[in-house]
Amino acid sequence: MGSGEIAWAFEERGNASLVAPAGRVDEATAAEFAERLSKFAETCRDTMILDLEGIAYMSSRGLRALTLAQRRASECGTTIVLARPNPTMREILAISRYDRIFTVTETIEAAQDD
Amino acid sequence: MHIRFWGTRGSLPVAPHASTIAEKVSRALFAANGRSFASEAAARAFVEGELEFAVGKTYGGATSCVEIDLGAGPFVICDMGSGLREFGLDSLRRCNAEGRPQEYHFFLSHLHWDHIMGFPFFVPAFLAGAKIVIHAGHADAEEALRRQQEEISFPVPFDWLKADIAFRTLETGREYRIGRLDVSLIEQHHSHSSYGYRFRDDRGKVAVYSTDSEHKIDLMHGEADVVGFFEAADLVVCDTMYSLADTVSMKEDWGHSSNIVAVDLCHAARAQRLALFHHEPTYSDADIQRMYRETIRYEELTRDDAPLEVICAHDGLCIEV
Repeated sequence: MGSGEIAWAFEERGNASLVAPAGRVDEATAAEFAERLSKFAETCRDTMILDLEGIAYMSSRGLRALTLAQRRASECGTTIVLARPNPTMREILAISRYDRIFTVTETIEAAQDD
Repeated sequence: MHIRFWGTRGSLPVAPHASTIAEKVSRALFAANGRSFASEAAARAFVEGELEFAVGKTYGGATSCVEIDLGAGPFVICDMGSGLREFGLDSLRRCNAEGRPQEYHFFLSHLHWDHIMGFPFFVPAFLAGAKIVIHAGHADAEEALRRQQEEISFPVPFDWLKADIAFRTLETGREYRIGRLDVSLIEQHHSHSSYGYRFRDDRGKVAVYSTDSEHKIDLMHGEADVVGFFEAADLVVCDTMYSLADTVSMKEDWGHSSNIVAVDLCHAARAQRLALFHHEPTYSDADIQRMYRETIRYEELTRDDAPLEVICAHDGLCIEV
């Protein structure tokens, strides 16, 4: 899969922060993805919702960046929830068993309620 | 060259219970659905052609032992897991049938129990006239092998072995000409360190043996070295013991890798084939088969251009490189 830059959107929703990256997280973009995600993880809301709707695909480096961000977020009591993965991302989360160590929701609202 | 897998299980040898075999036979009979076979060969063809692997066969339970077979000359073997016992007997058969010399070059990934436990049962070590060279990145390989044959652990001391046994410590960053192979090694993350080996034959074909290697989550920038080591390999035998989630949670720092990191490294290295290896001992054949299918699917989902062929190593598998 070809790579490009990852676009980011961020907003606050009550006690949650909503982070919405868009693009492919592969070998070319994984380092930047990890760095930006860890920065967002420091916002210290109760929940950080990572909206995956715009993520076409994520390699193991992107998945491991999720774990690094969760570790950073945990320092101030924040839980990362993964929302709206596309079918490819849902398969990758299942194959990696990341759907067992992260809460994955179908909607943003469900992530807020988690 | 041919790669023969004599042991593919991680950490601990496993063997099927009687109930496991009964379950396989039951499923096979059910799948046959009343069909009759004119001969045993016809029944075997049914097993080979129509039964899924986990029903008709087994991935096996011997620990790490992989032969790099050049078809003639000295034998080349990676690791001395419990699969070594069977290799030793087969090598003697080949020495008798093909006139090959009783000369063995071992390459040790590391010195943990499951990777050296086969040596006390390696029959050629008991034979005067046999020559054994044990190559390792570890300077304490001899100490490890002698220690496991001390009286507290084993009845036959190392010094009773009659073969001519030599130890040779190899260094990273160099290429060695050993027999008819060019060999280099890389240090890997594992308790007491482990080493991966890259073998290139005279035709330029490359096989990489990389087991018991954890790709640390906080050292991802260092994976470029691993990608360089795997570069354009015709076959990479890779530690795929855990799921990625396990490697970053409960089993972090246990020294092993995952199937999907292996795929990503091989993709980045433009390797041709990946052999899933060092299977989790708690996995049933069905579990390993499921992991294999999931790995193939992950490779399809993440493929950039040329496909990476994914193979699931099992005891007894032989593939040509």
